[in-house]
Amino acid sequence: MSLGRFLIKRTVHGVFVVWGVVTVVFGLRFLTPGSPVNAVAPLDASQELRQRIARDLGLNKPLYEQYFDYLFSLLQGDMGYSYLRGIEASTLVLGRVPATVELAVAASFIAVVLSIPLGVIAANRRHEPADYGATLFSLVGISTPNFWLGIMLILVLSVQFGLFPTSGRPLGLYPALALLVTEGAPGGLLRWLHHIFLPAVTLGTYFTALITRLTRSGMLDELGKSYVRAARAKGLPEALVRYRHALRNTLVPIVTVVGLQLGTLIGGAVITEAVFSWPGLGSFLIRSINVRDWPLIQGSLVVIGVSFVLVNIVVDALYAYLDPQVVTE
Amino acid sequence: MPDDEALDRRSFVKLAGGAAASAALAGCGGDGEDTPEGDGGDTATDGDGGDTATDAIDETDTVEETATDRPEPEDREGYLQRANLLLHERAPWVFLNRQFSVYGQNSDLDWDARRDELIAAADIGPGDDGSVTITQGQMDSGLDPHDHRETPTDNIVTQAHDGVLNRNASGEVIEGLATEYERLEEGLVEFTLRDGVTFHNGDDLAASDVAFSVNRIVDPEVGDLESPQSDQLAGVTGAEATEDLTVEVSSDGINPIVFQEFASYCDVVQEDWITEREASEINTDMNGTGPFRVTEYESDVRVEYEAFEDYWDGEPEVTELTMNAASEASTRVSRLLADESDIVVNVPPEEVQRVQDDDTTEVEAVPSTRVIFNAMRYDAEPFSSQQFRQAMNYAIDLDSIIENVLAGFAAPTGQPTLEGFVGYNPDVGPYDHDPDTAEQLVEESGHAGADITLETPVGRYLKDLEIAQAVAEYIDDLENVSCSVEQREFESLVGELTTGNIEDKPPFYLIGWGNTTFDATQTIIPLLTTGGALTSYEEDEDVDSAIEQAQSLPGGE
Repeated sequence: MSLGRFLIKRTVHGVFVVWGVVTVVFGLRFLTPGSPVNAVAPLDASQELRQRIARDLGLNKPLYEQYFDYLFSLLQGDMGYSYLRGIEASTLVLGRVPATVELAVAASFIAVVLSIPLGVIAANRRHEPADYGATLFSLVGISTPNFWLGIMLILVLSVQFGLFPTSGRPLGLYPALALLVTEGAPGGLLRWLHHIFLPAVTLGTYFTALITRLTRSGMLDELGKSYVRAARAKGLPEALVRYRHALRNTLVPIVTVVGLQLGTLIGGAVITEAVFSWPGLGSFLIRSINVRDWPLIQGSLVVIGVSFVLVNIVVDALYAYLDPQVVTE
Repeated sequence: MPDDEALDRRSFVKLAGGAAASAALAGCGGDGEDTPEGDGGDTATDGDGGDTATDAIDETDTVEETATDRPEPEDREGYLQRANLLLHERAPWVFLNRQFSVYGQNSDLDWDARRDELIAAADIGPGDDGSVTITQGQMDSGLDPHDHRETPTDNIVTQAHDGVLNRNASGEVIEGLATEYERLEEGLVEFTLRDGVTFHNGDDLAASDVAFSVNRIVDPEVGDLESPQSDQLAGVTGAEATEDLTVEVSSDGINPIVFQEFASYCDVVQEDWITEREASEINTDMNGTGPFRVTEYESDVRVEYEAFEDYWDGEPEVTELTMNAASEASTRVSRLLADESDIVVNVPPEEVQRVQDDDTTEVEAVPSTRVIFNAMRYDAEPFSSQQFRQAMNYAIDLDSIIENVLAGFAAPTGQPTLEGFVGYNPDVGPYDHDPDTAEQLVEESGHAGADITLETPVGRYLKDLEIAQAVAEYIDDLENVSCSVEQREFESLVGELTTGNIEDKPPFYLIGWGNTTFDATQTIIPLLTTGGALTSYEEDEDVDSAIEQAQSLPGGE
């Protein structure tokens, strides 16, 4: 099988997964007791408003027709109307995506950039102080709760030393880059970096620790394999053996973990978002659940599901690049 | 003296039902009952009791004669005070605390917090640079001033809008866009608007805009909106512009609290601006007559304003205003300490010290308009017994709860109405902590050995779970009652309280009630009278009668 066919196959799988997610999300509104109108209407909605919502939702139509209407609306980017907020759900939900992606990617970037070298160093210097240091760091990182770390970073670095802002996202990456490109002003980008640093470190710490451990154990495992002995026996330079061959094979499971974590971060960075008032999708979903704003809940779940699928397709592509056997298998 | 024929039952019922929506967002009340208490005579007894509770009350409480022993009141406030005294005696609630609004603020600011939880940025004397940032717990749910029910949204939209009337920091009614207001006849009042008021887009305010604003709230046919605020103008049926600057507002019945309502609610919008726009645009921009004009709005993130130079009351001292939010209390306090915010709301007791320890910040605490209580359903045993209900009040040490759980940031209550409200009875204090009397009353009630459960939301009100646990522990310490706590998800609990069916409500639950009209009726009618939308206490003819009499008389205008 060629790489192209492999990716097409994965994409088709992804489409079916998204379809499944959308179907489940559509069904959610019928799981609540009573009429689906109750799931959409505010608690204190009048009878007139309830009737209007029933009309808007097409509840007088057969179920299959409602389902296809919902599917086609979603395909056109229409996630319904938030009667609580008086605005299209898609405007609010999609408005959260940039902040979510920025934070997830920044946390993953920090994790990958720090953890792979740390893991490699630990494996290369097994039972030396560097190894112990990296192992201790990863143990502490995995054991530290996000909310505690975030609050501590704020207290020490923001409140005590004033090095970083405590919280918030005054501007997004896109407008910051636009400022840089159109006006040559780096101020926006620096401001964005200044604000995202602490949340990204908080979110990325567990992730960093996890990948450090994976990299270390993976490297040690690969370095003990016979192809490494053969390469060394062939007289290949040690650096080439370690970084060209052993590390590349080590990266295969790590890419999978990174992909899964990135997908999780899209909707699951709730605590970090709350501590740093980062306007991401996770905290938005929780707030929507608290007020039972179903169009927003459904829209958020669909976006999170689609993001997860997209990330996994990208991971599959990387997987295929790193390990071509995956494609042929 | 009231004229019985003037009683307007429809008005009374409408007010009672109208407050229903407050439940969802202010935290509501419940339902319940027992046999009706006797009207008149000594302290009423329950059918299943032994002796009356009078002896116990006489010995331990400040109330020495019952409300119905006293002469007929002479005015509306007198009837409301009587209702409060009756309710103290008949104890439909375990009376708990008046919640305080606790803010952290930059010491450079000159600002007094209001009792109605609103932060009027125009009243702030800013520091050196004239800019002020206010951090709330959450952002708005859209900028349409008539399409929300939450304080955070109020705080954001009222910076750009004015009301017909207003309140000062202590809650008294003062002029707003109207300079004069008078009752023309029963059910009809007139507002005379001030001249020279302009909207942010430069257009002049007209009486038709005020009438449109009123009608948009009370009439679903106006302005394409089912306003969730219709009950805030309870009793009001419509408004009409009679001259360029004169508006007449009609009510169903006498509506004694009409001016109180307009002092708290009804932001004035421009009719043309609203009718020419889609809901999505109205929810993302504002055009009011208020002291601040919106310059930037990012949903769920922040709103930025600039001072409106043509504001009728003079350009505010604050030149730039930012409203943002942080749901975590520790983050809000950190923002204040890092000088990123000038005022932060809802500082919890555990964070107070951090604010006080910093030289540049201070704590501002004021009594709010919210009362926290444990409702006891009048129709469910053992709460059907007045003696048992009184016993629950005697069992708890309210002062200790306030001191140890709420760090002193609360005030004890002994009646449904809060101090400073119309109808508050200054002769009624909180119940004493007297476990012996409590045990005696439980015995007399015939419910010794009762096992009760207090249901409470978690995280909805300041230290709600901790308060409930303390209450349950005090009750459980009685030798003849067992009590435990059940934690409830707030929306689910409210769902049970708002069905309109008393039997759906838990027999014993903790809840809070906010009442920004500063009038006793808006607590008692929905929560403690027959037919009240969220009542836990019905068929008490004395209470119902006192409230009906009060509602038949004009307010203090």
